[in-house]
Amino acid sequence: MAPQLLSSRTFKSLFDSVDTFLFDCDGVIWKGETLIDGVSQTIDLIRSKGKNVVFVTNNSVKSRRQYAEKFRSLGLSSVTQDEIFSSSFAAAMYLKFNNFPKDKKVYVIGGEGVLEELQIAGFTGLGGPEDGEKKAQWKSNCLFEHDKSVICVGLDPNINYYKLQYGTLCVRENPGCLFIATNRDAVGHMTDLQEWPGAGCMVAAMCGSTEREPIVVGKPSSFMMDFLLQKFGTDSSRMCMVGDRLDTDILFGQNAGCKTLLVLTGVTSESDLLEKGNKIEPDYYTRTVSDITKLMDSPSK
Amino acid sequence: MLMSRSVASAVSQVSSSTSSLLPNSKQLFSFKTLSGYRSSSFCGGSIRKVNHKPLQMTSSSMTPRAMASKQLENADQLIDSIETFIFDCDGVIWKGDKLIEGVPETLDMLRAKGKRLVFVTNNSTKSRKQYGKKFETLGLNVNEEEIFASSFAAAAYLQSINFPKDKKVYVIGEEGILKELELAGFQYLGGPDDGKKQIELKPGFLMEHEHDVGAVVVGFDRYFNYYKIQYGTLCIRENPGCLFIATNRDAVTHLTDAQEWAGGGSMVGALVGSTQREPLVVGKPSTFMMDYLADKFGIQKSQICMVGDRLDTDILFGQNGGCKTLLVLSGVTSISMLESPDNKIQPDFYTSKISDFLSPKAATV
Repeated sequence: MAPQLLSSRTFKSLFDSVDTFLFDCDGVIWKGETLIDGVSQTIDLIRSKGKNVVFVTNNSVKSRRQYAEKFRSLGLSSVTQDEIFSSSFAAAMYLKFNNFPKDKKVYVIGGEGVLEELQIAGFTGLGGPEDGEKKAQWKSNCLFEHDKSVICVGLDPNINYYKLQYGTLCVRENPGCLFIATNRDAVGHMTDLQEWPGAGCMVAAMCGSTEREPIVVGKPSSFMMDFLLQKFGTDSSRMCMVGDRLDTDILFGQNAGCKTLLVLTGVTSESDLLEKGNKIEPDYYTRTVSDITKLMDSPSK
Repeated sequence: MLMSRSVASAVSQVSSSTSSLLPNSKQLFSFKTLSGYRSSSFCGGSIRKVNHKPLQMTSSSMTPRAMASKQLENADQLIDSIETFIFDCDGVIWKGDKLIEGVPETLDMLRAKGKRLVFVTNNSTKSRKQYGKKFETLGLNVNEEEIFASSFAAAAYLQSINFPKDKKVYVIGEEGILKELELAGFQYLGGPDDGKKQIELKPGFLMEHEHDVGAVVVGFDRYFNYYKIQYGTLCIRENPGCLFIATNRDAVTHLTDAQEWAGGGSMVGALVGSTQREPLVVGKPSTFMMDYLADKFGIQKSQICMVGDRLDTDILFGQNGGCKTLLVLSGVTSISMLESPDNKIQPDFYTSKISDFLSPKAATV
């Protein structure tokens, strides 16, 4: 069925059939450091009607704690850390659930968020932002040392050759080294005015040199969904995934059997959605999250 | 699904050879006549997209290989049947900055026999002129005109399509590319200097890019950073008709003799990841450089032998080009990799290093 533009009639049936709303963040709640209009009131309204609200973001630069702070700084102080599921958290949980030995180390190509989540889960993470300052030395007979058993790759605006080389050697030369990706989003709204290369870029760089494919923990992989379903003990058919990206958010929701709602405030335009080549169709779409507030108040026809 | 490998670009796939027999085949053949080999379906000067990973060898127009690679036992016989030897450099002539044993004598011997020598390298860090100096420093008698680096290939490709001189080229790569573009008369931006540029992702920050950039050339780049990735991405996504050209997609390279280093495949992979487009590849195994030099020197491809250390670039390049292929084990490929059941690329011959040419009969591998 073709995606339906959310109307007061369709909204009511959607809202009544759902107990939990899952929201993506970049392009849905905020753009860079700027809150999207009307989001705060909408979240409060949804909560006031007795629904649960959860935030699922592929952006691994921050930890859950740091995201909670961001929500607070943008005026959404009702959002707690426990309601936030970032791919940085997912990476740490993946290692935990697979009983990854605590004495083995993780090399991180990404932001502080991953390092912090690894630490909270009891793992040793190295690398991260400070390796952005390092330069590889290519001298004759000089060996580049590397001894990590996992490399975890996510969005890294401080990417450089040193990190690519370090990660490449770990994967190619340490037997059994795991190659984990937080996510593979091609681009994202890292700032409000423009799209920027996403983790998909850094991950593809590593695939290019290691000739291996990673284990992806973020959307649309079902890992975070399985985690959420277990945690909340709820049925996926009573959930609605709200996102701006077809190949991560909407696919994530569809794969788990959730209802899906696309918003047009992020990377996807209406023409992207409706073009012939597009194979991923959300149940509904609307311009922005605050349309929920408008539709809630208007009488259904 | 957008998350998986990007959809094919308009450029046709590299038809690569397929070995239908596993390398451990025990068939014994007498010295092969290679004229029955699959010929390249390419015409001169065109660029092939490489489906780089995994080593997918899909070929509808080529007959599958019938023969496993043979250890070179009669070097003289091979040498006599060949007019031009194309040599890869890293892992064949040198490793890092160290010459491989026996190379000068081997090259001298081949020249004395009247053979044409050509050097084709995917390494885009230097220009032909700079490679000429490297050969000289190592005591080898090689002319700049005999060297074809992927940096040169990028400039030659742009010339071959009459890329307008009023358009600019954004370079994610090192000096070699810049020098070759300059020699060919093209305007460029970027290169190593952009390695110093920092980004601060804050509200209201917008990266501008020049709208008259008509091509982005990506190659091996030790000064790779987010600024360059974004600049290249913006040009490719927003400048209508902007070309995305890759010098090569080698996963690893021998920067030093002790270890392998992440190669151009990494930088190109990054741009594929952010643009979700596949590039035009000018370096091996694309046959652009083969077609170019066959045309330039007026050589028949059946009279050429490609000598290299890497199966998925050098040997595939030779096979795609329709010439004989000799793998040397002095570089990245070991005998076990050649003979592994996962390996689908079978060179005609293999030997330990090129100086085995000096001992006309069997050399020990």
